[in-house]
Amino acid sequence: MMKIEAIIQPSRFESVKDALLEIGIEGMTVTEVRGHGRQKGHTEVYRGREYTVDLLPKVKLELVLPDQLVNRAVDAILKSAKTGKIGDGKIFLSRVEEAIRIRNEERGESAL
Amino acid sequence: MKMEESVTPLSVLGPQCEAQRERIRKLFESGASAQETLRQLCELADGTIRKVFSELQNVKGGATQGLTLLALGGYGREVLFPYSDLDLLFLFANEKIEDESRPLVAEFSRMLWDLGFRVSSAGRTVDECKKIEQDNAEFHLAMLDRRYLDGDKALFEKLDAKILSVAERQARPFLLVELQRLTRDRLGRYGNTIFHLEPNVKDAPGGLRDFHSTLWMRQLAGDRRDPRFSPVNEDELTRNAVEFLSAIRCFLHYSNGRNDNTLTYELQAQAAERSLGIDDNLRRNAAEWMRLYFRHARTLNRQLLRYVDQRPPVTISLRQRLVNAAMGAKTEIPTGKPFNLRDGLLEISNEHLFADRNVTYSLLAEAARAGVPLSRDAERSIAYIMAHPELPQRNSRITWTVLAEILGADYPGVALRPMHRLGLLVEALPEFRAIDSLVVRDFYHRYTVDEHSLRTIEHLQELTDPQEPLGQHFTPLWRTVDRRDLLIFSLLLHDVGKGMPVENHVTGSLQALEIAADRLKLEPEEKAEVHFLIEHHLDMSATMQRRDIFDPATVSGFAATVNTHERLQRLCLMTYADIHAVNPEALTPWKAEMLWQLFVATSNHFSRTLDRDRLHVSDEAALLEQVRAHADGAEKKEIERFLEGFPRRYLAAHSAAEIAAHFALYRKLGAEPVQTEIKKTQHAYVLTLLSADRPALFATIAGALAGWGMNIVKADAFANTAGVVLDTFHFVDMHRTLELNPSEILRFQQSIADVLNGKQALEPLLKGRLAASVARPPKVVVPTAINFDDGSSDHCTLVEVVTQDRPGLLYGIGSALARLACNIDVALIDTEGQKAIDVFYLTAQGKKLTPQKQELLREVLQATLA
Repeated sequence: MMKIEAIIQPSRFESVKDALLEIGIEGMTVTEVRGHGRQKGHTEVYRGREYTVDLLPKVKLELVLPDQLVNRAVDAILKSAKTGKIGDGKIFLSRVEEAIRIRNEERGESAL
Repeated sequence: MKMEESVTPLSVLGPQCEAQRERIRKLFESGASAQETLRQLCELADGTIRKVFSELQNVKGGATQGLTLLALGGYGREVLFPYSDLDLLFLFANEKIEDESRPLVAEFSRMLWDLGFRVSSAGRTVDECKKIEQDNAEFHLAMLDRRYLDGDKALFEKLDAKILSVAERQARPFLLVELQRLTRDRLGRYGNTIFHLEPNVKDAPGGLRDFHSTLWMRQLAGDRRDPRFSPVNEDELTRNAVEFLSAIRCFLHYSNGRNDNTLTYELQAQAAERSLGIDDNLRRNAAEWMRLYFRHARTLNRQLLRYVDQRPPVTISLRQRLVNAAMGAKTEIPTGKPFNLRDGLLEISNEHLFADRNVTYSLLAEAARAGVPLSRDAERSIAYIMAHPELPQRNSRITWTVLAEILGADYPGVALRPMHRLGLLVEALPEFRAIDSLVVRDFYHRYTVDEHSLRTIEHLQELTDPQEPLGQHFTPLWRTVDRRDLLIFSLLLHDVGKGMPVENHVTGSLQALEIAADRLKLEPEEKAEVHFLIEHHLDMSATMQRRDIFDPATVSGFAATVNTHERLQRLCLMTYADIHAVNPEALTPWKAEMLWQLFVATSNHFSRTLDRDRLHVSDEAALLEQVRAHADGAEKKEIERFLEGFPRRYLAAHSAAEIAAHFALYRKLGAEPVQTEIKKTQHAYVLTLLSADRPALFATIAGALAGWGMNIVKADAFANTAGVVLDTFHFVDMHRTLELNPSEILRFQQSIADVLNGKQALEPLLKGRLAASVARPPKVVVPTAINFDDGSSDHCTLVEVVTQDRPGLLYGIGSALARLACNIDVALIDTEGQKAIDVFYLTAQGKKLTPQKQELLREVLQATLA
């Protein structure tokens, strides 16, 4: 099992969700986050006051998937989140040792 | 009499209890009333308790003197729901008996648990009952419903008649205050509204707890019911409401198999399917059935609110309320107005005046203006009138002027909330009835549609005096928004379509607007603005969540839809309120920041692209026809000459009728080189001036206005290709010169024309006025910021000046620009409290300002503004 964490542009979220649904992935955790990598913030002046946006709004998706689905999911995210501009985001993969469904204590991939 | 010496075994008693419970359940399911069901459940509990209690005492040697068993709370009232707790009190004559009785009490409680009763018991000696426990008001409130069950009856009578009657009488004020506090806390936990999509029928506002709290409060306060209000079938309404909600609670307990009182979507559908609580045999879907629920809940909640000093619906700081109240009392309630303030609440001095709706609406307008709620007595009086249509009533049809006064105030929700409670809102705006108590199921919204709509408005009025950091960006927008009445009207109607048989609720809401606007006689431009806001109320939210708001193309596309800064401001506030009112967590700081970023980017786009987007009449055939329709017999070519080259903002900011009026002034320029027109709006005067362009024109007009003591709050200046300048100044008549002396308006217009034509000197006019104003220190210090922008316009330099507003400011800036031979191509002037925000598109000798000129201008402006 692998955990996928994807930080994406908020505007791409609906497309990414639809792309994941198309390959049968329905479950995910979504968080509104702020941050920046190479895409630095910018400063906007409004009515004489400077508003510096150094942490840009992003959406973080978290999914834990069986190994055989991971590549397809990553492809789906890449294709649907990419605009080609700085700030499109990142995908992080990490191995997950165990998953447990709280309701019935099922374990392993069947708990996903 | 033969004494039983053994206890009926659980193996016998248990199945008996179960069989009885099952019988009662079937009785309920076959249509028995809730009252009957609860009575039988109570009888089962009473019988079982008495049997077990007496058998246990007999086994232990006979009835214990000095030990009494009491039922408290709901059980004390003989109201026992299927899975409710049994509140019991063991009363002991003294501590010795208490000690001796411990084994009996323990075994008794254990047996009841084993028989399936959820026992919640307490023990007190008689002496302990004499004291009021300050930290346990709940216990004393439950004691108000005490009922003798078994044991030493003389001890109960002693407690009831001699001890508690005295202790409780003395503790009444304390208990009443505590009950009010507990009630406020409870209502607050549920957002102070009955309109939850999945309500808790016991604890939520409008639930059964409201009814019981009302009974306790009446008991503690002494029942001083006003006989006027009983004939409104109130007792019957209450009985019906309690029966309806009790039936639901029984149903929930049986359906869930536990004491769970949440009326979920699923159970709403089941309840509607079996017409729970209804005798008329009419089939209702879940939404229709829920409307019955809310009607009953409203009855119970309304009664409770008469007894509890509920917080005002808008959170206003104490300081603000005192200021508002004082302002209202001193300045805004002139002698002769039929209302006054008492304890920070508005009430009518003569309730018979409520027969005239205009009086009611003027009271509501005052509430909306000052943010001061109506007193309970005032609400009761209005409710009485509303419930008696046979009584003579005057002016029951509201006009748009009256409604707009309420909607355009700082605290419209303070008036709209009671209007909705009392049925005045649907009388004034029948379209709102479509969403009255309407449940629309989704997992995002928490409230019914009407509640959501009212909350949008309340979230905006909270911006008047913001309590949460989330709204701080938006506070200046709310304080300065133009045509607030139209924004609030749009919010009232934006979701009305959800209660109409249409595929898309926006379509329905727009249909409702058509009807409402015709009935209320809105001006076409007003209707168009509300139409836009309703039609596009989801656009800003969709843009910020589905588009890259940092992409200039997104911003310019969105700006093209919105068209003007004023409209952007209204749409932004509408979006803020709409998201915020979905549920308490919906507007996250993340979303609020995204919304603000989109607003700022679009606003800047407007102010930086004004001269780029010019009007070419050859592309505007439709507009030409509209203007021609208003301009009698004008030649098309003549209109084209007038319009050619104005910034598009001019079109966006004015209706065809207004443009035609400007054109009429333009046609008179040949006879008189300066043409002016003055209109009065709700909060300001608007001066429109047309003239051929000339040096220092803008500064001179600003100076003439300042010389008359007028405070310019907003202005714009545009020029067409032919060099005709059209300036619009919104100003406040600080000294009420024009208001108190209407004949001065003509002299004022003439004076401005004379100054521009050189027939009157400006300096003497200004001298005295400015000298009188200089001494006043500002309430808020605004630092001066001067920014130049050469990138936004192809041929102009933009300068933005943000500084402390003061009399004659615009004249000072305009004069400085004129001295340096800077030509104003476009000007946008705005004020935000004591902050002036002025944007000028400047050229010098037809070109952008050189860096040296910019530096010189900065120095001159800084010296002027210092």
